[in-house]
Amino acid sequence: MNQGKRLLIIDDDPDFVEGIRSILEAGHYEVDAAYNPKDGFHALETKHYDLLMLDIMMGRGAEGVMVAQKVAKDPKLKGMPVLIVTGIRELMAFLFPWESLDAHLMPGDEVLEKPIKPQLLLEKVSALLQQAEARTVRATQAN
Amino acid sequence: MDAESRILIIDDEEVVLDSCTQILNGSGVDIATAMDGTRGLMLVQEFHPDLVVVDLKMPGLSGFEVLEKTMALDPTIVPIVITGYATVSSAVEAMKRGAYDFLPKPFTPDEFRLIIRRGLEKRRLVLETIALRREREMLRENFAAIVSHELKTPLSAIQQNLFAMEAELERHLGDAQKNRLERMKSRVDDLLKLIHTWLQVITADTEKLKETFEPVSVVTVITKAVESIQPQAVRMDVEIVTSIGEPLSPVYGHEGSLVQAVLNILSNAVKYCHAGSQVRVGVEEAASTIRLCVEDSGVGISKEDLPFIFNDFYRGKSGQVVDRGCGLGLAITRRIIEAHQGSISVESEPGKGSTFVISVPALKLDAATQSPLNAPVMANSQKGGVG
Repeated sequence: MNQGKRLLIIDDDPDFVEGIRSILEAGHYEVDAAYNPKDGFHALETKHYDLLMLDIMMGRGAEGVMVAQKVAKDPKLKGMPVLIVTGIRELMAFLFPWESLDAHLMPGDEVLEKPIKPQLLLEKVSALLQQAEARTVRATQAN
Repeated sequence: MDAESRILIIDDEEVVLDSCTQILNGSGVDIATAMDGTRGLMLVQEFHPDLVVVDLKMPGLSGFEVLEKTMALDPTIVPIVITGYATVSSAVEAMKRGAYDFLPKPFTPDEFRLIIRRGLEKRRLVLETIALRREREMLRENFAAIVSHELKTPLSAIQQNLFAMEAELERHLGDAQKNRLERMKSRVDDLLKLIHTWLQVITADTEKLKETFEPVSVVTVITKAVESIQPQAVRMDVEIVTSIGEPLSPVYGHEGSLVQAVLNILSNAVKYCHAGSQVRVGVEEAASTIRLCVEDSGVGISKEDLPFIFNDFYRGKSGQVVDRGCGLGLAITRRIIEAHQGSISVESEPGKGSTFVISVPALKLDAATQSPLNAPVMANSQKGGVG
């Protein structure tokens, strides 16, 4: 049922990406990877993706945040669900394990902490895709 | 003397300024002079001296005023006063107001050189201390960032691939191999958790935590902590018995971190308890203080370890059966409790068990009645028990 859904991962750690890719491909998703924000944008501009998985801590700092902001502003990309994948928790003082990261980044998108258990990853991806589909259906009906 | 040192001399007598300048000439210091306090203070701001030598008795601004204003402008400047009529009382007064040293008139060139050398040495130490403090702060912050990226990144990649390989190899691995894979995952997970805990201690900003304070129900805190530890207690065959006294006032704090604090104590109690025994959790309010007791009948803590157990990175040394742990749980607990204006103490006898006592100020009832939290707190506590 996930056939044809295409996902892009932007993350600067190829080893981590391979671990994620294997799980997603086993879930019958098509997966592309970009290892820096520049290549990531190029991919987003040239191909259609149903979901973006985005690492926050890339390059010299939180370059992933810039990618997320650019995606949110781009008229063609802004509806695309973004799954933020990060090890950023440690940068926030006194955030305890049960406290949610979501509120600290951007609204709407899901945030998962590295490493991600396969089942949780597949659940989140599928939930985000379904939400996006529901939004598209509503938008079409409204028109 | 340091070639770059700058010295400002303020004295209304030209002869003093001239002789001082002459004494220091050739010793590689930069000298500025002023004949009155006002001009002197201007030079403090323009010349940026390391050392200010000021005569106490001057027309216009007095030496005391110059001393005070100089220190207000830059507290790292080392001030030395010249006392005209070498009275002990004015020298003492000047020292009280922050002068580093005093020089009674008349003085010999050697006395002057000595006092300047000592003053510059002091200045060097002051600046060095400031630099070291700043460096320590930066290290603390950078260390957190370095640890997070350099250690967590590879560990996350390893764990993610273990997750993936487990799924890929599901049908190809025997039970023993699956078991080893499981253990690898659990060891990597331990490491990741350890790094989290270290980071919590290193970066924990208790001031920031205080900004989130609100009235918190003690009963809720205990309930949540007991719930979290229950599975571990069941595994170790330890019973947790909770008794909650009289209706309790709330405390002013951060619920999540208070739960963490209690949980750390409970987790230790359960860990060091013998199978089949009990951990007693009691809470009562007396003299505007909430007092929480956690009592176990476990291995206890030896006298030599007792004074150090709330320190960072301390683990028992005296041959106890110590489970995995990084020696930080109690240190984190102490910091959390101290951020809540509370205290934590322990009594223990080896072989008999330990009792940890956390005390935090109760939130005054008149303040609490205005809070919507008050009602549920009272209702909860009248039930008189937890889980």
